[in-house]
Amino acid sequence: MNRNRAFGRRLARVASAALAAALLVTACGSGDSGDSGSEKITLTLNLFGNFGYKELYAKYEAEHPNIKIEERTAAYNDHHRNLATHLATNSGAADIEGVDTGFIAQFKDKPNQFVDLNKLGGDKLKDRWLSWKWQASLGKGGEQIGYGTDVGGLAICYRRDLFQQAGLPVERDAVAAAWPTWEKYLELGKQFQSKAPAGTSFYDGGGQLFNAIIGQAPTGYYDTSDKIIVSSNPEVKKAWNLVAQSIKDGLSAKLIGSSQEWNTGFAKSQFATIACPAWMMTKIKDQSKEFAGKWDVALVPGGGGNWGGSYLTVPKQGKHTKQAAELAAWLTAPEQQAHVFTKQGNLPSTPALYDQPEIAGFKSDFFNNAPVGQVFTAAAKKLTPQYQGPRAGDIQTTIRDALVRVEQGKQTPDESWTQMVADVERLAK
Amino acid sequence: MAQMTARAPRRRTNFTYPRVGSPWTYAALVAILIGSAFPLYWSLVVSSQSNDAIAKVPPVLIPGGHLFDNIARVFDTTDFAKALLNSLIVSSAITVSVVFFSTLAGFAFAKLRFKGRQGLLIVAIATSMVPHQLGIIPLYILMAKLGWTGQLAAVIVPGLVTAFGVFFMTQYLTRAVPTELLEAGRVDGCSTARLFWHVVLPAARPAAAVLGLFTFMQAWNDFFWPLVVLQDNPTVQVALSSLASGYTTDYTLTLTGTVLATGPILIVFLVLGRQIVGGIMQGAIKG
Amino acid sequence: MTALHAAPTTAKRDEPEPPDRRSFRWARIDGKLSPYAYISPFFVIFGIFGLFPLMYTAYVSLTDWDLLDGENHTWVGFGNYSELLGDPYFWNALGNTLSIWFFSTVPQLLAALWIAHLLNHRLRARTALRVGVLLPNVTSIVAVTIVFTQLFGRDFGMVNWVIGLVGLDPIDWQADTWSSHLAISVIVAWRWTGYNALIFLASMQAIPNDLYEAATLDGARQSQQFWKITVPMLRPTIIFTTIISTIGGLQIMAEPLLFAGSQTPTGGSDRQFQTVALFMYEQGFREFRFGYASAVAWTLCLVIVIFAIVNYLLTRRISNDED
Repeated sequence: MNRNRAFGRRLARVASAALAAALLVTACGSGDSGDSGSEKITLTLNLFGNFGYKELYAKYEAEHPNIKIEERTAAYNDHHRNLATHLATNSGAADIEGVDTGFIAQFKDKPNQFVDLNKLGGDKLKDRWLSWKWQASLGKGGEQIGYGTDVGGLAICYRRDLFQQAGLPVERDAVAAAWPTWEKYLELGKQFQSKAPAGTSFYDGGGQLFNAIIGQAPTGYYDTSDKIIVSSNPEVKKAWNLVAQSIKDGLSAKLIGSSQEWNTGFAKSQFATIACPAWMMTKIKDQSKEFAGKWDVALVPGGGGNWGGSYLTVPKQGKHTKQAAELAAWLTAPEQQAHVFTKQGNLPSTPALYDQPEIAGFKSDFFNNAPVGQVFTAAAKKLTPQYQGPRAGDIQTTIRDALVRVEQGKQTPDESWTQMVADVERLAK
Repeated sequence: MAQMTARAPRRRTNFTYPRVGSPWTYAALVAILIGSAFPLYWSLVVSSQSNDAIAKVPPVLIPGGHLFDNIARVFDTTDFAKALLNSLIVSSAITVSVVFFSTLAGFAFAKLRFKGRQGLLIVAIATSMVPHQLGIIPLYILMAKLGWTGQLAAVIVPGLVTAFGVFFMTQYLTRAVPTELLEAGRVDGCSTARLFWHVVLPAARPAAAVLGLFTFMQAWNDFFWPLVVLQDNPTVQVALSSLASGYTTDYTLTLTGTVLATGPILIVFLVLGRQIVGGIMQGAIKG
Repeated sequence: MTALHAAPTTAKRDEPEPPDRRSFRWARIDGKLSPYAYISPFFVIFGIFGLFPLMYTAYVSLTDWDLLDGENHTWVGFGNYSELLGDPYFWNALGNTLSIWFFSTVPQLLAALWIAHLLNHRLRARTALRVGVLLPNVTSIVAVTIVFTQLFGRDFGMVNWVIGLVGLDPIDWQADTWSSHLAISVIVAWRWTGYNALIFLASMQAIPNDLYEAATLDGARQSQQFWKITVPMLRPTIIFTTIISTIGGLQIMAEPLLFAGSQTPTGGSDRQFQTVALFMYEQGFREFRFGYASAVAWTLCLVIVIFAIVNYLLTRRISNDED
């Protein structure tokens, strides 16, 4: 889904450079796949959106003459609802099913529905991935239910022209230096707001900001025994207070993430900064073409972060789970991730590729020549793993709704917090 | 049967009914038409633009030049031709079946006397009162047992009858077919089947056209169930879902697919629409 | 419920004198069996493909059943139902459903009757006009979403723009209960008015012209003819549309889901526009509580039954002047 094409295309050469290293890592994963029988089998993949695999299938089929690959795609929500249905009825799931970050915690909570990839050589591949990426799809009993595809990373995209009008620093290093922490980020926001052009707020919406902040905490909504600790975790309260205060200070454009109005907000300059994963760059380019060169990218306060990214899982009900697991391992190997990056711009989840000078040094014209490769990979590397319990996605939505209530003026922050805690407790059932 | 249709001799006075529409009638209808057509028109506008058109404020209202590019992209991204064919098969089969069986059952419920008539009609209506969304899970289990998953039959067969259709035809035929006409037919020694064929079916034409429209439209736009069971053999709506692109929304591509998917229904509309109009012309049968 | 019909369908009839014994016997068999033969296709096909899913969810509603963990479900009897009755989310959703249903259905049926009346004139381009009113129903839900989200947008929506011209403050349509219910009712009514208008139209065409002719000769005005002839003659159809709108309107799910804009089934920041069907969807396909969601489905069914009966009785009275 990140389709930062230009970013990717430049990497064509990096891909071949990474190839040698990648081959080394993948060797154990694909070693025995050639001799898994002479019978011709078809492997199916159910994905959402474009994972950029089309050419890779041809390559894999050429290397494995007994295997034919078919991909089917559906929209994000349709896909995940379908997967749940097929797991529930114990039939109809594809050999490989894509799962998004937003759903992975719920699915890994039922590891018995999926093949434990660790038993098929996955444990030996572990070091390919960023550690938090690997852990996010790990079941309670240590079962690995999915191989990571891409990650989002996280930075702050900001509008240079608007910053200048408000008398703020404009250059990305100065900007990043001005917001080492979220507190400082919001202080800068207050400065901005006092001189902001009419109709422009400092950031897009409270829910998105909250996610970025809480994502950096060592513990989030759950402790490691799967107990929900939203009401007792000081990190949650701290992030809440920061965001609630900033809403009161008028820094939020009060837009709900992924809504149509939010999309329009880019073009209408409704906000000057936004928590920005790599895939967001495509969206910004699409939605606000006329602001080319006026957008820039700076390091995120706190340094680390991620938003989005997916996994390839192998449901147990499939007929060819062994071959499917091999294919999933191959598709997510650094070599193939490099190819996907080239084609599609999806940020790899395998840090081996980050060290390539050409990735780290990659720049984007649209974003005023920002070293986006470096910015996003730095955030991805710096992110510390945070344990996610099964209802993490729902809790996130509940907190977002609570912040929206504050933004809409329906409730005070305290009233909204009380209701949010009650709503979250309900999810614990 | 001649005497039946000739039952109501007409005095030709200067009376005409329906009445001729006044300018106000036209004005009101045109306003309603514009309101009804706008979202569809706007889809066409956006599908002829590039992706940033959706975000333009004020909205873009004039078609641009990208329509054919976008159509090409839809056909590149999905097997849209096959999806159209599948949808055509599914919707036509369902429409023919629903209209026929509904008229049949509606005739029985409206005009024939038999034990349990009221009770059975109520049961039929009541079946549509349970929300169906959760039913996809047991239905899928059933289809998997029958080995129908991935086949059009999995969507066609459960759609062959609808409670809506039966209820609709029952209520319509109650008034549209005069009971005396049927009585007269019986006196002449007509069997029930002949009465159905020669009296009920012709009288049912306007309602059958409307029911046909609705059924075709619903079958064509049905999405929830086909998506689960027909992923590798998609109908149009399933194919539309595969046009969506991950985290960012390609509105242009989605709306182009939408416009392409709506075209065939409009054609069916124009064909069946004439039937509705035709229904009025045959005043004789309504005697 | 002879009831669903306006007039008793067949008066007790005197058996006609049979031409001969054989055809008499045949006519008896025909008369006895044909009705069952005619309704059997519906019941047979429904029995296989409709009844099984219904019974299955009825069973599931009595269990604690995680959708993702199909093998692991426990019998809880009416536990889900008693939890539901004590669930404030459910009561909230029920209130929203009734409110949205009322505000969309009543104006919608009246408007449909009026539009059908307009369409029942001799008109040029009548095919286009008749088919035109059905366009909202054909338009894909995706396009509907995008257009109405724009119309009811908070910052740049057209409705707020018009409101601004009149000098009023813009409205955050999603934020409040009343405004969100109003907006959703408009979307619902927009989608379904033409549909109901065509149903009315089809029945209007079946009204014998002689009735109007006689009334005209008696000097009845157009509006009198409408209320004294058209409406009473449409009674079975009015009963039909009322019941169908009750069934459909109380199951509203797509419109509030699309109105939220972000594809989350919670129906607004404070669940201010979450309907029961949407609540069921959330429980079933977002929280994967299949058992609980099934209990919601069956409870909603009960609510619909009650309202369908009440509405049936009401509509029967309203247009009762004929009989």
